[in-house]
Amino acid sequence: MTGKTIANIIACLVVTLMALGVVFVFSASARIDAEYDLSKFYSYPEFRQIVFFMVSMIILFAFSRLDYRKLGFCFTGVKGWIFNISVLLVVTSIILLVLVLFLGAEVNYARRWFRIPAGPVTINFQPSELAKWSLVLFICAVSVVLDKKIKNFRIFVLLSLLIGLVVGLIVIEDFGTAVFVAFISLVILFAAGAKWWHFLTPLPVLAAVFAFAIFSSPERIERVKAFILPDDSIAQTSGYQIRQSLIAISTGRIFGKGLGRGISKYGHLPEDTTDFIFAIIAEEFGFLGVCFVILLFLLLLFFGIIIICRCNDDFGRLLAFGIVLAIVLQAVINLGVVTRLLPTKGIALPFISAGGTHLFLSAMAAGILMSIAKRSNAG
Amino acid sequence: MNMRNKTALLLLLIIAAALLGIGVRCFYLQYYKADYYHEASVKSQKSSFFERPRRGSILDCRGRTLAASYKVDTVFAEARIINDLKKTTESLAAIIDMDPVEISKLILTARNPGYAPIVTDAKLTDEQRNQIRRIRGIGIESRWKRIYPLSNAAAQVVGFIGTDEHGLAGIEQQYNKTLAGSVGQSSFFSDAARRPVRLEQCQSFAQDGADIILTLDATIQQFTHKALLKQFQEYEAESAVATVLDPCTGAVLSMVSLPDFNPADLSGADANSLGNHLLSDPYEPGSIFKPIVAAWAVETNSIDPNETIFCEDGHYRGKGFGSIGEYRQGFGNLKISEIIAHSSNIGMAKIGQKMGTQKLYEGVTLFGFGQKTGIDLPGEEYGFIRKPDKWTGYSVARVPFGHEVLVTAIQMARAFCILANDGRVVNPHLVKAIVSDTGKKLKITEPMPTGGFVVSKNTARWIIRQAMREVVTDGTGKKAALDKWEVWGKTGTANIADRTSGGYDEENYVASFIGGAPAQRPAVVVLVSIRKPNKKLSKGYTGGSVAAPVAAEILKNTLNYLEI
Repeated sequence: MTGKTIANIIACLVVTLMALGVVFVFSASARIDAEYDLSKFYSYPEFRQIVFFMVSMIILFAFSRLDYRKLGFCFTGVKGWIFNISVLLVVTSIILLVLVLFLGAEVNYARRWFRIPAGPVTINFQPSELAKWSLVLFICAVSVVLDKKIKNFRIFVLLSLLIGLVVGLIVIEDFGTAVFVAFISLVILFAAGAKWWHFLTPLPVLAAVFAFAIFSSPERIERVKAFILPDDSIAQTSGYQIRQSLIAISTGRIFGKGLGRGISKYGHLPEDTTDFIFAIIAEEFGFLGVCFVILLFLLLLFFGIIIICRCNDDFGRLLAFGIVLAIVLQAVINLGVVTRLLPTKGIALPFISAGGTHLFLSAMAAGILMSIAKRSNAG
Repeated sequence: MNMRNKTALLLLLIIAAALLGIGVRCFYLQYYKADYYHEASVKSQKSSFFERPRRGSILDCRGRTLAASYKVDTVFAEARIINDLKKTTESLAAIIDMDPVEISKLILTARNPGYAPIVTDAKLTDEQRNQIRRIRGIGIESRWKRIYPLSNAAAQVVGFIGTDEHGLAGIEQQYNKTLAGSVGQSSFFSDAARRPVRLEQCQSFAQDGADIILTLDATIQQFTHKALLKQFQEYEAESAVATVLDPCTGAVLSMVSLPDFNPADLSGADANSLGNHLLSDPYEPGSIFKPIVAAWAVETNSIDPNETIFCEDGHYRGKGFGSIGEYRQGFGNLKISEIIAHSSNIGMAKIGQKMGTQKLYEGVTLFGFGQKTGIDLPGEEYGFIRKPDKWTGYSVARVPFGHEVLVTAIQMARAFCILANDGRVVNPHLVKAIVSDTGKKLKITEPMPTGGFVVSKNTARWIIRQAMREVVTDGTGKKAALDKWEVWGKTGTANIADRTSGGYDEENYVASFIGGAPAQRPAVVVLVSIRKPNKKLSKGYTGGSVAAPVAAEILKNTLNYLEI
């Protein structure tokens, strides 16, 4: 198998996932009194998703042509830091995360989005999504350039503080994403070779911050309660969404109700096009659909591992690991939430959930993964 | 650099295992828990729609409505799915012209979070319906409302229905199944605002109820009600009944029981007003029983119509039957017809004694006493006739003037119909025909086969044209007389047995008149019984003074109306 074949397989998997996403965002957007005004098609999420899909494919193939090594430190010294893309991205992310707290649009009592009016359409942009991928890139690049210095405790503390800053800015408005970003950042750092006992130092701090975050918000306590208590006792209150999710999945049975024939999407299941889209897939395509989605992610994981193993470049290997980890772990967490194996938090299903920011950035990551596959020699 | 390759790969394999675990979890949910969550989905995602059938109408013999159903709308709120109360109430208020504050109050104070009625019994236009349907959390429910155009006048006959549309009295109860039709049901999946997504299955379509056409005539019913009510109020009676029957067929033309009630609004109704006293209230008939016994005595040749009987000048006493007196003055020799005309108790006692227990019992039974008449209304009583082996010397001397027997008014009316129908048996009935919602005749009441004679034509004609005609011309029933027609009949002033002391109460009577017109060819039989007219008013309490004028008024109006 050549690197190009593997890259094409990755492309196939990612495009299939995105196509599935477009179909189900469309299906889940169904409303009884739907009357489309096609001159304003961009205001309908289901039509917007089609546009995102097409743009994402361009992004995917553009990044696959780009040499991933350019993302690393191309120069030595201070010049290397200034001209590194990942550093710029991290700085941009931090600035945007600060700005969104003041300028962001409020949705469901949280400011996570920029609403940028651009002529007839409004562009929604979620900086926390950008911050996630910036950190992945940055930690990979920095770990490689620091080489053995990563075992230095002072360096470790500095990196931890940077991660802490980004995560701290995210946690103000989005607890779930913050936990996720903190986790993958530390895991990549660990994989890069940081000393294991160094990790013991930020853990108490993180634990304290998260405990405070949970108990300071009644909504989060409710979510934890909803996870622990049996689902029928709280079906009308905090557990409503998760119970509707389980109803949707379960009533799909083995073969599903058929595409477009689900019921939960008609206002019963909140967030049916975004975080809970998997429940709609399970309802309409049944267990077979579930298997298909899980199989796609497993294959992505499998070929990701092959890419990591084939790559003989440290940066490429670490970056491939970071990308595969971020995508598949996010999928696992999302599916775990939807099937009530984990408490509810707002995390999208990669490539499938509605939303432009996450789709573009995931496509970018997948494109980089393809680029790594193409440029590694067969071992 | 010392990248931890193996650790990283191990972590990715753990994630792969987690993905497989989610697959297993989904299989558990979709295979083993599917039925459990299906139940839950039915509760939260499915709605049922019941199509209530139109309840059949009840019509009089000329097709006039006695009871009918029409559609009214109830606008209700499902409080638990309303997010923005202010906006919801304001948009609703604009459509139905109501104060939004008032609506909010109704929604907030509703006990049922899924159903807060806001406007009931309204008639909405199609435009209003469409506008209301678009508001989330507000629904329209249509239901049938029952109307009774005759209101109190035919209350006990027509009956009424409960909130579940189940007939609870009268024809409404007797023919509930026929009138009710069947409910149509369909269930569908709905969105969160309970609007239908997809019709799952239509289990059944609504089948409208059948219409019932009665023999009752609304006009005669109103005459009867009006005449009886006037007397009932004037004499401050406890209860009163009146009925008009066609003696040839047994068809009931009117039937009134007082006190009455409004079938559309039962507040204030009690057992006394709800009951149909014609059927449910057996009483000792008193003198109105005499013509029956006299006819039977003639029929069995126990006496000759031209015979004279010595009436003991008002004091008849002997061993084995005690002492019998008259209501007022005593009589000497009376012909049989004069015994009826002047209502002599002693004369009747002697006729009874001549007949003997066995014959008398047979006659009373043949005229239908002690049995239900089988009229198509609920709540009919048997009355009570003692078995002949329990009869004593007292009984045989007292049954002939209507003591020691318990009869219902409808039994009395039927017995007189038999006499008026030349001795042929008739059965009182109310239903003339039943017609399905598609116009198909489901049932037509056929006239009784004219087989059995209780008494011969001659006997029947003699008792009507001779004996009971004399009651009105010369006897106790003069107040029932009319110029235009030859009225016949019999008065009765029955003591009410006092259950506690075992004797008769001298204050409480049942004043009755039963008769008909014309004597040559009776077209109608009328019964009027007024229970416990207030004696203290000193206006009179006898059948001749209280009941006979009512019967006369009913007869006059009815015969004029029927153009006889």
